[in-house]
Amino acid sequence: MVDALTRSMRASHVLVAILVAASLAVAAFGVATNDTFYLRLATEALIFAGLALSVDILLGYTGLLSLGQALYFGLGAYLSALVLMVIPSFWAAFAATAVVAALAGLIGGFIVNRVRGVYFALITFGMAQVAAKIVYNTRALGASDGLIGVPVININLGIASVSSASPAGFFLFVLALIVILYALSAYLLDTPFGRLLIALRANEARIPFLGYRTMTPRLVAYVLAAMVAALSGALYPMLRGFVSPELFFFATSGNAVITVVTGGAGTLVGALYGSVLLTVLKSVIGSYTEHHLIVIGLLFMGAVIFLPKGLMGSVRPLIERMLAREPKQ
Amino acid sequence: MLVIRNLHTHYALSHIIQGIDLTVAAGEVFGIFGRNGVGKTTLLKTIAGWVKPTEGEITLNSERIDGLNPDRIARRGAGFVPEDRRIFPGLSVEENLTLGYLQVPGRDAAGDRAALAKVYVRFPRLAERRQQHGTTLSGGEQQMLAMARVMIGTPKLLLIDEPSEGLAPMIVADLFAIIKEMKQSGCAILLVEQNVHQALTVCDRFAVIERGQIVLSGRADNAAERDKLLTTIAV
Repeated sequence: MVDALTRSMRASHVLVAILVAASLAVAAFGVATNDTFYLRLATEALIFAGLALSVDILLGYTGLLSLGQALYFGLGAYLSALVLMVIPSFWAAFAATAVVAALAGLIGGFIVNRVRGVYFALITFGMAQVAAKIVYNTRALGASDGLIGVPVININLGIASVSSASPAGFFLFVLALIVILYALSAYLLDTPFGRLLIALRANEARIPFLGYRTMTPRLVAYVLAAMVAALSGALYPMLRGFVSPELFFFATSGNAVITVVTGGAGTLVGALYGSVLLTVLKSVIGSYTEHHLIVIGLLFMGAVIFLPKGLMGSVRPLIERMLAREPKQ
Repeated sequence: MLVIRNLHTHYALSHIIQGIDLTVAAGEVFGIFGRNGVGKTTLLKTIAGWVKPTEGEITLNSERIDGLNPDRIARRGAGFVPEDRRIFPGLSVEENLTLGYLQVPGRDAAGDRAALAKVYVRFPRLAERRQQHGTTLSGGEQQMLAMARVMIGTPKLLLIDEPSEGLAPMIVADLFAIIKEMKQSGCAILLVEQNVHQALTVCDRFAVIERGQIVLSGRADNAAERDKLLTTIAV
């Protein structure tokens, strides 16, 4: 017999499997038609899905609205770019990003977890803005131009290698990494620790009376989210060959929040679908009008009003019901 | 077990608890009675660490706990069942129960299963509804869940605030049977309750609080003292 959260997680896994199948079909189609643009776009959607995933860990599970998750995404992107420009090794860039993101998340977590609610949102926003201004004004980091000339790398996977210049190969590699980040997050949130986070979101005042410190689980969730955001950001310079201060800007954090709310907060998979949806919409609507943000803004308002649980928050219960059905004898 | 000496608690300028002394031994139920607003719940909240005392001492098993944070007091063995139950939405009955023992030191999987099984024997209604969301239970079942969630952590001291509030008489009888079982297992219990007659079926001793002070105390098995209690609070 499985409990409510595990059943919901299984439904999310089914939806991720559907997304992976669709992605493989996209990759096959891209290879068959020798497409570059849409595969690159889909790769970017997956990278920003990682950022949205980190927002969902905080918002959907812990009830913490971060308006500054771009801080860690940008940190990961810049760090990865700097490492790649010196040592063109994916694993060196990824490892450096993981370590620095954990440290930065720990420091940031100690600062922001001292407050709750709107103050938490404002401090996360403030920290990201400070980082954005520092990067924007630091010549060694390329200032407003960012860092240009990140080399193409070959990612050694032991049995094979993938070039970051290969649209289909890099797309599949990013897909695998984002699915791994999803799986690790889902695994952690499906443990008793995940239940504790949900309880914390529901009633933080009650938790200490069961013997828990509230700071510890909040901090762990924050560090986890920081690492997921930074590791996703680390993929960005490999895709684009450059990084710019915009990655730290509020637009990046705000888009991630919109992605999660549209996709379905607290589902994890909603972050992935939301990112794909928003990236595709931006591209499709953007090809007709430069005012595409108006359309996306209206869409977001519509999603909040008519689908308050988000796209996956509305679809997932159907999958849960299917999974809950007894198998026929 | 629990010893309180000259306890004072303030809410801003309001002096709520005004010098309370009491002791509760292991395996004893101590009833706290009084009208609304006299400081009964504040007394429990002060012991549990929700509110910091401004003066006085609280010791649990000879260890000072006054001024500690609630999580540290809970880890020292004090379980608090608040009046409003506070079942966690989004979690099933079993998930709510699980949170009650995760922080217990030295636990293992076999012990966890045994603890859950024990709770389900004691609360068969919860066993039937283990996969149901906790907040979809009836009021009585939620109260049972709130008690079970604290009991599963095997507290040495149980602070229970108005467990019968708004519940059907049959459920109330069940709850008090469970309180009696806890008492027999050696748990010290401080019980705040408006239903004095029901409370006296499990209490060993009692006190009446007025304006933050104990104005009457006695033994529940002493007929004269019981009569005085009932007269004082005009039941």
